[in-house]
Amino acid sequence: MSETAAKEAVQPPTESKDAKPAEGEAPKSAEGETAKKISPAELKKQKAAEKQARRAQQKTTSGPAATPQGPQSKEGAKQQQKGSKQAPKDDKSRPIPTRTKPSQTNIAPPPPQQQSKREAKQDPKQLGLFFGHLYSQPRKHSMVGTSKDVHPAVLALGLQYSSYTICGSTARMVAMLLAFKALIESYHTPKGTSLSRHLIQLLGPQIEYLRDCRPYSISMGNAIRWLKDIIVKTDPSTPEYEAKRDLLEEIDMFIRERVTAADKLIRDVAVTKILPGDVILTYASSSIVEQTLLQAHASGIPFSVIVVDSKPLFEGKTLARKLANAGLKVRYFLITGASHAIKDASKVFLGAHAMMSNGRLYSRVGTALVSMLANAQSLPVIVLCESVKFTEKVALDSIVGNEVAPPEELLSESERYALLHLKPHLPKSHPVTTEETPAEGAKSAPSDVLKWIEASKNLHHLQVLYDVTPAEYIDMVITEYGSLPPSSVPVVHRLSTNI
Amino acid sequence: MAPGAALAPGLTSFLRSLKTNPSEHSVDHLIALLKRRQIRNSRPCAVATTALIEKVVGEFKGHDAMKLLDRVRSVGRRLTAAQPREVVVGNIVRRVLGLIREVVEDNVGGDLIGTSETGRSTPTQHDHGFRPPLNSSISSFSPLRHAAVEPMDASLYASDMSDSGELSRRPPLLSSHTSYAPTSSAPLVNSLFGLFSQPVDSSTNVSTPTGQASPDGKGAHSLNLDRLTELNRSQHFDLKGEVMNGIQELQEELEQSDKQIADLAHEHIHANEIILTHTASTTVQKFLTKAAKNRKFTVVHAETYPHDNTATHEVLLTGRKQGGKAQDEDDKWKCLTELGIPVYVIPDSHVFAIMSRVNKVILATHTVLANGGLVAAAGAHLIAQAAKSHQTPVVVLSGVYKLSPVYPFDLDELIEYGDAGAVVPYEDGEFVDKVDVEHPLYDYVPADLVDLYITNLGGHAPSFLYRIVADHYRTEDVVL
Repeated sequence: MSETAAKEAVQPPTESKDAKPAEGEAPKSAEGETAKKISPAELKKQKAAEKQARRAQQKTTSGPAATPQGPQSKEGAKQQQKGSKQAPKDDKSRPIPTRTKPSQTNIAPPPPQQQSKREAKQDPKQLGLFFGHLYSQPRKHSMVGTSKDVHPAVLALGLQYSSYTICGSTARMVAMLLAFKALIESYHTPKGTSLSRHLIQLLGPQIEYLRDCRPYSISMGNAIRWLKDIIVKTDPSTPEYEAKRDLLEEIDMFIRERVTAADKLIRDVAVTKILPGDVILTYASSSIVEQTLLQAHASGIPFSVIVVDSKPLFEGKTLARKLANAGLKVRYFLITGASHAIKDASKVFLGAHAMMSNGRLYSRVGTALVSMLANAQSLPVIVLCESVKFTEKVALDSIVGNEVAPPEELLSESERYALLHLKPHLPKSHPVTTEETPAEGAKSAPSDVLKWIEASKNLHHLQVLYDVTPAEYIDMVITEYGSLPPSSVPVVHRLSTNI
Repeated sequence: MAPGAALAPGLTSFLRSLKTNPSEHSVDHLIALLKRRQIRNSRPCAVATTALIEKVVGEFKGHDAMKLLDRVRSVGRRLTAAQPREVVVGNIVRRVLGLIREVVEDNVGGDLIGTSETGRSTPTQHDHGFRPPLNSSISSFSPLRHAAVEPMDASLYASDMSDSGELSRRPPLLSSHTSYAPTSSAPLVNSLFGLFSQPVDSSTNVSTPTGQASPDGKGAHSLNLDRLTELNRSQHFDLKGEVMNGIQELQEELEQSDKQIADLAHEHIHANEIILTHTASTTVQKFLTKAAKNRKFTVVHAETYPHDNTATHEVLLTGRKQGGKAQDEDDKWKCLTELGIPVYVIPDSHVFAIMSRVNKVILATHTVLANGGLVAAAGAHLIAQAAKSHQTPVVVLSGVYKLSPVYPFDLDELIEYGDAGAVVPYEDGEFVDKVDVEHPLYDYVPADLVDLYITNLGGHAPSFLYRIVADHYRTEDVVL
């Protein structure tokens, strides 16, 4: 189990499609086993999670009718547990309040099972042309149906992931480690197992749940691997109290060393790259770029910033706001205006989601465009990246490995509203025009536009989150190990993992 | 379609009012519409301008070609001043001016060429001090001017001396207004030849500064054309009628250009291609629709947020733009998705990511410039550059009417900036207050990023465009 879980952790989101059908069965049965093993001993700690599940069960009085792909045949001994485990799954129709995204609310019509099934079936077929291999199942936006082993802190975190409340590679990793800290704090080793073995088993469902909410980032994968490593290395003879304390300390240390201290080192170096009069262009939002710019501003260097942003997340807006509030001179462009923005810039600072071993930068979609333009203008492109985001993976284009985002996010509420008047103009063959003509008087809601798009056979909206910037567009990568060319990424990666 | 559409000021209301209002009134009307951006984008501007010029010519009284030229030019000046970035307006005016000249020349036969040319050069002998007005406009430099470097016959020059030089033959392109380095060699050549034929006058010629061979030509021009119009009167040719015919041809060209471009689609799209395009351009949609009739391919559509992205989605959902166009029934075409063409809408930031799968990029344009570059909706430069870095061919679709004799010396002059509220809504007052939000509407795409232009005349390399410019515009009219 620990091995498969570890493998899962390492596995990139890209392979999730292949892994999915197998996972539907395998982890579930494994889960059942763990559940059986745990349940007698650690009820107290899991009480919160249990309560969640029970509450959900009460809501669905209908009982465990038809789960889409739940394990059907199990021994009677487990039936009871399974009941509590399965029941919440049927509760998909009930949107949890945390689902803030307006786009999601309309995908919860009465027959939820069929709906979600159809979606899962439809999506890969529809979008198969480009990212079909990346579609697995729609992102999870509620905590129903999760294993009761999942710690409440992790449950909350998952929802924050899926709604982009916690966004950004480093932030997600740190938040995950903090949630795991909470998990370890409240952890008691059940009788008959050792901490090193059991805790890793316990991590499995947590990680799986987080991945269901949003595929995890490279840095999260690195951190998970590291965490499992130190858990495995824990001496079984150490008393639980001590082992837990050590683990917590290790995690704190990891965050301090790999993120906090690294950030400080990076921004200290990066600030020296900002000269008086510079115009720094940055794309979307990166916490390390933000820190650097703020520190440079605080140290009195006169410079200005251009923030280039893109829909649908508009992360750059937050960055621009923060910088402007700090008193920096900020100009704000959308990606369509990037070729104008780049003319006035003198340097480009980029954050990273990950640095690939072939020197390519895996970052928010659009980064490649900005660095391409900068390269065409012979502007230096500087990537600020902690070494925890380095990966041994390689990629040549943005298609083989990527994270697909829900296409509904493409149209904002106001844009949908602007398209509402089109209803009478929709082509005759369109299903909406044929079936809904009697309901002409009814006021159509902005969400209808999404239905039109979904209903029209050949029109697809497509959205991914990342793209891969060729190494030749990048002039320098600043890490806590120093400033290096992109070709040195694999070396530093080995250096940082082999300590 | 909707009754409200008639009330909204725009192309339709303008065309309707044109029938009743006098031309002077209509000129003011169009200027107002252009200034208020109520008529935007190349095609509506072109249609409106053509209709207006037709009206102006229609109301023109008399037979004096020169006065007609002046009248059209003055209208053109006012229109372009109202909205200099809608280059198409100027293009149409220049086309009509060229048309008038052509009509006059055709009717007078070779004579006019002689007259106007000698008319131009004769004053050089008399008023040396006269220099052409300095052209501040970017369009004043044109490769066409290089034609003026051609050395000419000494006999020509000799004929200048005689006052009856009307019958002399000259290369028509000699009539440059301005003096630039290449042109300046012309008088020198002139006078060197002249040394032999005109011992007295040419010596003063040599000493005169470079501008002497290229006077404004206005006074002489009208003088000659006066003579001409006398000539015309004697011949009784129907100046107005022929010009009107020409304008109607121009209108037909405007109507036909999309179809003609679409007819070339089969030569450029092959089966199972993945084509990336952007904006809600009718030309591109018709082109793709035509190809979709018997080829299967896939379209990736960048939505060009935030400028006109609603129109993009409109086109993708319904197949046509709703705004501006009210003559919907006669140009009905099915939208791509209905023809079984899968269309993938992507945000503009995805262009680079998706480009590795794209076989061909088809761009719509706002204006094509004489050097082969183009001005297109913002984001076009990104797309073209990404295509370049993936070695994907970039095809630009454009009617000839969008082809402009303008050279992009000052890019900022060509780029229009739009409402920043479309980028960050003004409700977010704090943000708008502190941050400089910018919203360029257009991008300039340099010629080296474009592989092919498809116009209604066929496919051309970007480097060839200047020739098409030369075919369609008179050098005299480059500066309105």
